[in-house]
Amino acid sequence: MPALDPNLPLTHAALAVECHGLTFRYARTSAGVADDGPALKNITLSVRVGERLGILGPNGGGKSTLVKLILGLLPCQLGDLSVFGLSPRDARKQGLIGYVPQRVESELAFPLSVRQVVAMSAERGLMPWTRIDRARQAAIESAIDVVGLSSVADRAIGKLSGGQLQRAMIARALAGGPRILFLDEPTVGIDVGGQQRFADLLDSLHKKLGLTIVIVSHDIRVIAAGCDRVACLSRTLHFHDTPQGLTPRVLAEVFRHDVAGIFGDVHVAAHVAGSCPPGCAVDGTNDAGADGVAGPITTDFGPPPSGSVAARAARLWKGQTP
Amino acid sequence: MRAIFLPGVVTGVAIAIVCSCLSVLVVLKRLSFIGQGVSHAAFGGMGVAAVIDLALLNAGLASGLPALAQLGIVLLFCMVAALAIAGLSERRGESADTVIGIVLVASMTLGALLLHVTFQHRGTGGPSWESILFGSLMGLAWHDTLIACMASLGVLGTLWAVRRPMLFWAFDEQAAPAFGVSDRAMKVTLMILLCLAIVTSMKLAGVVLATAILVLPGATALRLSDRLHAVLAISIFVGVLGVLGGLVMSFELDWPPGPGIVAAQTTLYAIARVANAMTARRRLTTSPG
Repeated sequence: MPALDPNLPLTHAALAVECHGLTFRYARTSAGVADDGPALKNITLSVRVGERLGILGPNGGGKSTLVKLILGLLPCQLGDLSVFGLSPRDARKQGLIGYVPQRVESELAFPLSVRQVVAMSAERGLMPWTRIDRARQAAIESAIDVVGLSSVADRAIGKLSGGQLQRAMIARALAGGPRILFLDEPTVGIDVGGQQRFADLLDSLHKKLGLTIVIVSHDIRVIAAGCDRVACLSRTLHFHDTPQGLTPRVLAEVFRHDVAGIFGDVHVAAHVAGSCPPGCAVDGTNDAGADGVAGPITTDFGPPPSGSVAARAARLWKGQTP
Repeated sequence: MRAIFLPGVVTGVAIAIVCSCLSVLVVLKRLSFIGQGVSHAAFGGMGVAAVIDLALLNAGLASGLPALAQLGIVLLFCMVAALAIAGLSERRGESADTVIGIVLVASMTLGALLLHVTFQHRGTGGPSWESILFGSLMGLAWHDTLIACMASLGVLGTLWAVRRPMLFWAFDEQAAPAFGVSDRAMKVTLMILLCLAIVTSMKLAGVVLATAILVLPGATALRLSDRLHAVLAISIFVGVLGVLGGLVMSFELDWPPGPGIVAAQTTLYAIARVANAMTARRRLTTSPG
């Protein structure tokens, strides 16, 4: 598949996801809980067909809320949102959306083989008395094959390594024949080698299947290494462009955090602003790590960096000198 | 003798099959404590049914409350308790085990008070404390067997019909909604099936031990296999064998059936654990390096 030109004009048919002025606020569940404001405010964003978009932002920045809205799991309160020209709910019902969760919550001692897990999404819509047909069976085998798990297809799911388990989850999403694939924090809990293999797999999926891919992560390295465009989200959209346009200033604004430790030759000391959501952090998945410090942004950049932040992050992720 | 024993055996086998299938889900979804809460809620339901029965008898209705109506009241009580557990632990920020603990003791207290009042007014003639808590073979008749078989068929049929979304939800509750599987629908369905299984097995195993047959067969089978069909087959085998063994013990030793069934199934679980540990040790000693 040819690389996408980000400067191409957007047409409705060329868009996988289109949202305009999207605002979402969670209902207060019990009395006495302070109103934390909208989880998402005035988000205007598009994902082109065949594009790889990275959604980057701190914990509590609204990434998961945006994904839930696109998946049709939360109602669209204010603004417009469509997936392949359909409402998110209809797109999900038609099987156009594939989803890979951050991790499987259940006990991995579940007595299921890899093939049985992958088959779960292909069996969608079957009547109880209907057996799985040849076309669906072929989709299951093809999904297992494309993620490279054919040799372990009959192995119990609990006996897979972390990287293999993630591949199985990707295969499960692919077996339903989606046109867009959402990956939620895909590299959490996976070692460096596994992360590299994951990046290669995504690259090959993109080339072989022409899938539109959306990666949601708080880790800039994951996104910089495998995305055509980046959307930086911290309740509002701070940046939506190619990774080359990511600057330390944008990152400091989004994460409200000193990211100097990550990029070696860049020194960013961001002391941040009152709008920081509670629990925002530059990495880790635990919301408890509050990094927001009240006050205006005062960013102090060191000597001019060589190359963009994204390029250095991508090199860092691939084990090279940033 | 045969007239007493045979309805118990048929009822026991029907209950064992349905509870064994559900027990795999109960163990994997870690719902044992919810099962405990629901089965104890049945005690409250039995108290309510006993009071209504007494009121009808006092009103001059000689037959009192029909068996099916009693079962319906207990089932309704269990379902309200199950939905209260699910609802309260979801919405009010209370942890599930706290809510279960509260529902469990509240239902037991209500049941104890109402049954105490009923026993005081009725004197002898109704079911004893022991038979309510630990089950009884004596109270079982062919119409109870028919009810148990129909309820078991209903639960098994529903389980078969929803097996695909249920399995998806049970395996990956977080991702299931994104694939069109409703989290709430699956939760409510499983709760209703659990209530039906518990209420059906209550007469045989008793209120206190009804959940045991919803836990032990699945826990034993999961020790012995990691293949779904094998796990289900082993679970049914353990469930049926345990129930039959327990009934024989109950008949021969004049025990209430509940403790006999649980003793037999616990023994099978212990054997499975030992076999599992021995296999693991053998694998460790024979593996190279």
